[in-house]
Amino acid sequence: MEYSSLLFIYAFFPLSLAAYYAVPAKFRDIVMLLLSMVFSGLFGIGFLVLLMVYTLVNYICGRVCGALRGRKSRSALIPFAAGMTFDIAAVFIFRVSCFSWLTRAMHFPEGFFPIGISLFTLSAVGYLADVCTGKQKAEKNYVRFALFIMMFPRLFMGPVLRYDIFTRILRSRKCSMQELSTGFSIFIKGLAKKVIAADTLYSMYSTVKVSDVKAISAGTAWLGITAYMLCLYFTLSGVADMGVGIGYCFGFRFPQSFNYPMFSSRIRYFAAKWHVQVIHWFRKYITRPLTARVSSRYVRKLVFLLAWALLGYWYGFDLSSAVWGMLMGAAIILENRFITSKTLKATGIIYTFVLTVLFAVFLAGDSVTGSVDYLLAMLGRTHALADGLTVYLLKSYLVVMLMTMYASTDLFRNMMLRSGTARIRNTLGAISPVSMVIVLIICTALIAYTGSSEMQIIKL
Amino acid sequence: MTSMTNKLTAAAVLLFIAVAGAASLINAVISGDKDNIAALPENSGQGYGSELEAAAAEKFAGRDGWIAFGSRVDSAMKGNIVNGVYVADDRLISAEGVSRKDLSRSVGYINSFAQAYDGAVYFAAVPTSAGVYGDKLPEHISRGAEKQLIDKLCGGLDTSIRCIDAYDLMKMMSDERIYFRSDTKWTMYGAYCVYRTVIQKLGSQPVSYDKYHIRHVTDQFYGDLYRKTLYMKCEPDILDIYEYSEGAEVLSCTGYDNDGYVEQIGLYDEEALESDDMYSLYLGGEYPLVRIRTDLNNDRHILVIGSRCAASFVPFLIQHYSEVTFVRPELMDRPLSDFLYPDDYEQTLFLFGIDSVTDSGLKYIEMR
Repeated sequence: MEYSSLLFIYAFFPLSLAAYYAVPAKFRDIVMLLLSMVFSGLFGIGFLVLLMVYTLVNYICGRVCGALRGRKSRSALIPFAAGMTFDIAAVFIFRVSCFSWLTRAMHFPEGFFPIGISLFTLSAVGYLADVCTGKQKAEKNYVRFALFIMMFPRLFMGPVLRYDIFTRILRSRKCSMQELSTGFSIFIKGLAKKVIAADTLYSMYSTVKVSDVKAISAGTAWLGITAYMLCLYFTLSGVADMGVGIGYCFGFRFPQSFNYPMFSSRIRYFAAKWHVQVIHWFRKYITRPLTARVSSRYVRKLVFLLAWALLGYWYGFDLSSAVWGMLMGAAIILENRFITSKTLKATGIIYTFVLTVLFAVFLAGDSVTGSVDYLLAMLGRTHALADGLTVYLLKSYLVVMLMTMYASTDLFRNMMLRSGTARIRNTLGAISPVSMVIVLIICTALIAYTGSSEMQIIKL
Repeated sequence: MTSMTNKLTAAAVLLFIAVAGAASLINAVISGDKDNIAALPENSGQGYGSELEAAAAEKFAGRDGWIAFGSRVDSAMKGNIVNGVYVADDRLISAEGVSRKDLSRSVGYINSFAQAYDGAVYFAAVPTSAGVYGDKLPEHISRGAEKQLIDKLCGGLDTSIRCIDAYDLMKMMSDERIYFRSDTKWTMYGAYCVYRTVIQKLGSQPVSYDKYHIRHVTDQFYGDLYRKTLYMKCEPDILDIYEYSEGAEVLSCTGYDNDGYVEQIGLYDEEALESDDMYSLYLGGEYPLVRIRTDLNNDRHILVIGSRCAASFVPFLIQHYSEVTFVRPELMDRPLSDFLYPDDYEQTLFLFGIDSVTDSGLKYIEMR
């Protein structure tokens, strides 16, 4: 059950809100856990069992790690290593296709994918590392820890949080109309991103993807990969927004994961705004520990590069995705070295956009050679700037592309924030309820036939 | 936002969700499909969620209105492709393409049938409207894919099986009303065009077109492509019945379900015109096996193994055979040998829509 499905929006979500608010505050964590179990169970009993085993193993490893740390710091490494091995093995088994025999041997159904496993693995490993290093006390409350792993608003797209931040959010939950209103607004914004923007862009991208890469014109190749990049952004940020919105409705103020990264004026700004908590996780748990005692500038750069490659690998679990990460890391290093602050903002936006789109070829590709073929198409292998498909794409999708490009920037938000006059703000405030319902109606209409927005450009 | 705006936004969204959700629940109850509500749907391995999602979509209050509105929004955004259907000027065409998955497995089942069978086997794969009118589709949607698929299929068949080329035939007749505007399947006239060729291969002369009295039983048929889009400008289609008063009479037409339950039916079930599934007009309903006996004394028996589109073809065969048995593997849940002995039939015709030829039900035709 996706967040962007009729079943979730019109049945599970309102019923779970009713159940949650119907019980006294002290029981709400348990209710939230039960709701999360039902939500997970709808993906299959196998997924629910996997999540519960996963939670239990990490809980026990955390507790043992915490207990041992008090006596001998070295022995705490054993449960940490055991937990981390379990977590990483789980993510590899389910995400790397060469381990599919193992999932079959474990009697998981054909095509089974534990959705969100990449994200809750980061959460779990980060928690164990913090407990092992003494930055975090081992959690004794099992319900709270289980919520950390499997709380349904965070299941699909995080945000990946440090355990202390998560518990702080749990403790400071606020249930009010303000929270509900903000939650619905963020949820509907995320729904629109997924259903209206991402799904349309996916159609555009898949139109190019099914074409023979050796025969398409440069224009078609550029349009295709631009659609992919925008689709990826709207899919990830849309699902993340929906999760955050749902969290707000239950009183949890989770931070947003994407802060308008498209059309940044530097690659490093792009990286700072893209999947914020995930990139922060890699910096905190990979780059920093590895470079803490290294004085050589080159080694530090190499580690930085490898961490980005690892991040890329985490997205796709293939070599091509790792190349994307490496290119991003290399671009940031080169940018820090050579690009001065005097570069014009407009030039910076163009260069950042072009580079991120070029790099995205590796994220989109199934293999490095396939990605190189696509890059050659972008560079005009067929000696044709445009073909019939380019015209078709422009005719069919130009307006959508321009609108989604605008929507991916923070221009509208800034305009709202800077609208000085109270009159404008009041007008916007007055149309807000109507506009939210209208967007919800449009999204509902778009998913009415299949019941959910099924197009998935990436599985995490 | 002000406090009042917050309250209004939360209240408006909650109210909308609650009303639509409650209306859908009431709709599900009123529609009488209580089984869907009382019992959890069968778990297909991907969790109950996907089945529940499908049920929620099916019972969503005002579903048709939502789909029609969604189609308009979709076509405005995606260049005339709505829910995988291309909205051309004069017809709807599936833009999803035909799956090649399991093709070799299907070929294997047909070959194994032919090898164990004593009579003559014929095979004809019928293209969908997308195969014939592919040139109306946007450039990027692969054209000619169905032709390639049919060629590949015929190329893989045992040499003892005679493959009949329905694609070129339909392509040649594409200016005629051989396909519905709102459906992937052929019209009865399209079936007649193929019948003329097929019956000659089977060793008989076709009944000429002018001998048939053609009755338009409805001009309000909306097919599967329309139901996907609910595109309002789509013109409804006409359903025809072909009657040959001087020809062979049907003595009995019997439908069998998987449990052996028998029902007397007609070649044409005009009551189906009152239902949501008007196409059930042909050999009425969803029977895995239909046996037709005629007053011809030629002792010729033919077994037709096919998909749904073959139902409008079978009525033409009764002028040549004393018994025509039509089997639809997609509806079977047990081997063909549980229903009949194939060797009782001297000829077997496989007649599949190319979009159904990889149906998993074909496994039931294997003879051991």
